[in-house]
Amino acid sequence: MTKKLLILFMLMATLLTACGGGGEAAQPPEAEESSQSAESEEPAQAGDEESAVEKVTVRVWTHQNESFNAGYQALMDEYSSLHPEVEFLFETFDYDTYIQTLQTALPAGTEADVLVMFGSWVCSYVEGGSLAEVPASVISLEDARSQILGAPIGGYVCNDKLYGIPQEFNIEYGAVLFNTAIAEEVGATNYADGWDTWDEVIEDGQKMAVSQDGVMMRAGLNYTASDGLATMFHSVYLQYGGQYLEDGTYTVNTPEGVQTLELMERLKTEGLVDPLLYSDEENWVGDSYFAETSAMGLVGPWAIPEYSGDYEDVAAATIYALLPSVGETPDFAAASGWGMSVSANSEVQDVAWDFVKFATLNADNAAEFNLASGTLPALAENLSGSNADSLVAEFPYFEPFLDILEYGQFEGAFPDRDFVWYEVTYPEVLNFLQGNATIEETLQNIESAVQASFE
Amino acid sequence: MKTKTSQRFLQRFVLGRDSAKKRFIAGTISPLVLYMAFWTVFPLLWGFALAFFEFSPRRAGGFLGFGGDNPFIGFGHFMSMLNFSADSPLEVKQFHIAIRNTLLFAGLVVPLNLIITLPLAFMIESVHERVKGIYRTLFFLPVLAPSVGVAIMWGFIFHPQRGLLNAIIGKFAGRLVGIHWTGDPNLAVLGIPMALFAIIIAYLWQDFGYNMVIFIAALQGIPESIKDAARIDGVNWWQMLTRIIIPLISPTILLTAILTLISAFQVFDIIQVMTDGGPKDQTQVLLLNIYNYAFRYQKMGWAAAVSIVMFLLVLSISLFQSRVLRTEWEY
Repeated sequence: MTKKLLILFMLMATLLTACGGGGEAAQPPEAEESSQSAESEEPAQAGDEESAVEKVTVRVWTHQNESFNAGYQALMDEYSSLHPEVEFLFETFDYDTYIQTLQTALPAGTEADVLVMFGSWVCSYVEGGSLAEVPASVISLEDARSQILGAPIGGYVCNDKLYGIPQEFNIEYGAVLFNTAIAEEVGATNYADGWDTWDEVIEDGQKMAVSQDGVMMRAGLNYTASDGLATMFHSVYLQYGGQYLEDGTYTVNTPEGVQTLELMERLKTEGLVDPLLYSDEENWVGDSYFAETSAMGLVGPWAIPEYSGDYEDVAAATIYALLPSVGETPDFAAASGWGMSVSANSEVQDVAWDFVKFATLNADNAAEFNLASGTLPALAENLSGSNADSLVAEFPYFEPFLDILEYGQFEGAFPDRDFVWYEVTYPEVLNFLQGNATIEETLQNIESAVQASFE
Repeated sequence: MKTKTSQRFLQRFVLGRDSAKKRFIAGTISPLVLYMAFWTVFPLLWGFALAFFEFSPRRAGGFLGFGGDNPFIGFGHFMSMLNFSADSPLEVKQFHIAIRNTLLFAGLVVPLNLIITLPLAFMIESVHERVKGIYRTLFFLPVLAPSVGVAIMWGFIFHPQRGLLNAIIGKFAGRLVGIHWTGDPNLAVLGIPMALFAIIIAYLWQDFGYNMVIFIAALQGIPESIKDAARIDGVNWWQMLTRIIIPLISPTILLTAILTLISAFQVFDIIQVMTDGGPKDQTQVLLLNIYNYAFRYQKMGWAAAVSIVMFLLVLSISLFQSRVLRTEWEY
């Protein structure tokens, strides 16, 4: 009997060890569920009619971001108050875990009803048949293109069909972080009236850059991080009148490509940055700007809320200064930002789409989300009017961006946008700026590597 | 009628004291074996199978994702790896670079590690007992440090503007020095990129304590009687070292060389944090290459094929090493 008890105990101990060992790494991705908070805010209902109405549960998945999640929660609460029969199960995941969760859940058909997606991912999941097309009752593709700005909507259109609706404009080019305190210190003044030409930018940047014994201690304009560099390359290419992606053919080895690289090289040779010392690996633009080892930095407006907590003084002296355009209009390439899609496997697609429409196409609701999450609007209607005023009042550094969002062009339906940006464009252009390749070699390498990714 | 097999089975597992012992052992370890079989063997087999498909988790497939939009391509990936032309795809070019860098890294790390750790073990063994433990602990501490922390620390040391190394050089030079040890693609020593050397230094710093304690244990295992007999025969310290001690610990040297080699092939976190494969792929190694293509670019079929090549490479080099370095010494 004792022996049997001992055997049983050993078996239990072994099972518990096998199942529980390894801490966080051994456990499957944990989803934070806030269904209780969503449910608790449902207004109390009474009466026979209420009990006859069938409750619908809509699962919503997104990545973990405090301000984004606050925005989503507010939208769900508002929707629930208007539709008491609908309750939400809101699950959030750490960013990297979210990507992997989508990759496993979508093929397996276990995903949530509403999926918050980054626009650049959408078409790859559409390929797998995982996402539902937006019903015409929600919005037609034609109406979506007229109501929603071009860059945000671009990622959600696959094979001329709409598979989701964006909520924000993701921008990495068009304006730069600008330290007005440093500018005042060194007498850089061109920015005050807005830069009309790159000559004025260079003049300010030269004054703000600091070198000692030939070593750059403060960059005038840090544009050599991966996102900024790759986006700048494609944006300036557009401004020179080129189109780098047409009908599945990628072309940059053109006169426009030469002009683009010449401009980017000029910024280096005029002393605005040392590309050997400033890159993704060292002096990354966000860290460098707020540590004041860069006076200007090419990075999106998400950087300010990210760093302002730790660098209050620098944040207080920071504005966004619009960059000049080499073309008629300040065209720029932009990724398609965060938005909502609905799973093709969802059993409550009607309700899910109704919620998505409520959250994204209602101008006031969309603006509320932008306010809560600190993001730029995707709806054209919110570029002006009271919603825009509220956004600028809350985030003053948004103001210059609102003037240029209409010129944003979706960066393109690449088979793998990250590959094009981070594995091809950034290393090739950085290598060129470091003086290790010619313009022709660089353009040829970029073009052939990106084109090969389509095959 | 009972057969011999069934009789043997009954004898082994059902009847008698020995059979009770075997039942106990089987009952205790079987859950663990099942657990290991499911969570280790199955993923290994699945990963092996991936290498023969053009597989991406984003695309729809059949059973376990195979087939459908993830077609079977047989040895397609492996054939691509043999494409050395200038217009080969970027992933193939990076694969070739990764193989070269990994072999270079392992080829430098193993001998450098042994050159540092063996004499260090001798020196520690030769000091007084009272301080031996202190030295052993101090030199072993870096082994306990997390790799990411080590990478961040060495990243600070090698920082071009605010790094410790440039500050020290600057003091001697009398001016500011801005050498970018991990980011300048034109910096090389004997044709080997400086960024790779920087990684090697960080890696050795973290790793040498591990082999050192192994060698100390091996040295302590040599019977004093052998050394005494050698001294009586009139050997000097050099003869003692080269004719007695090193031959006797050569099995340990072989073991540490193989373990260090396998570990060097698996280097990942230090490189990802310090250089992320740059500058210009000069520190791109196989495991980083596999990680990028599997998890950043979702090309899992290709990444699985590369991992099989890496496995075969490590296996063949380990077998070669054990063949060449084996001895028949015993004592």
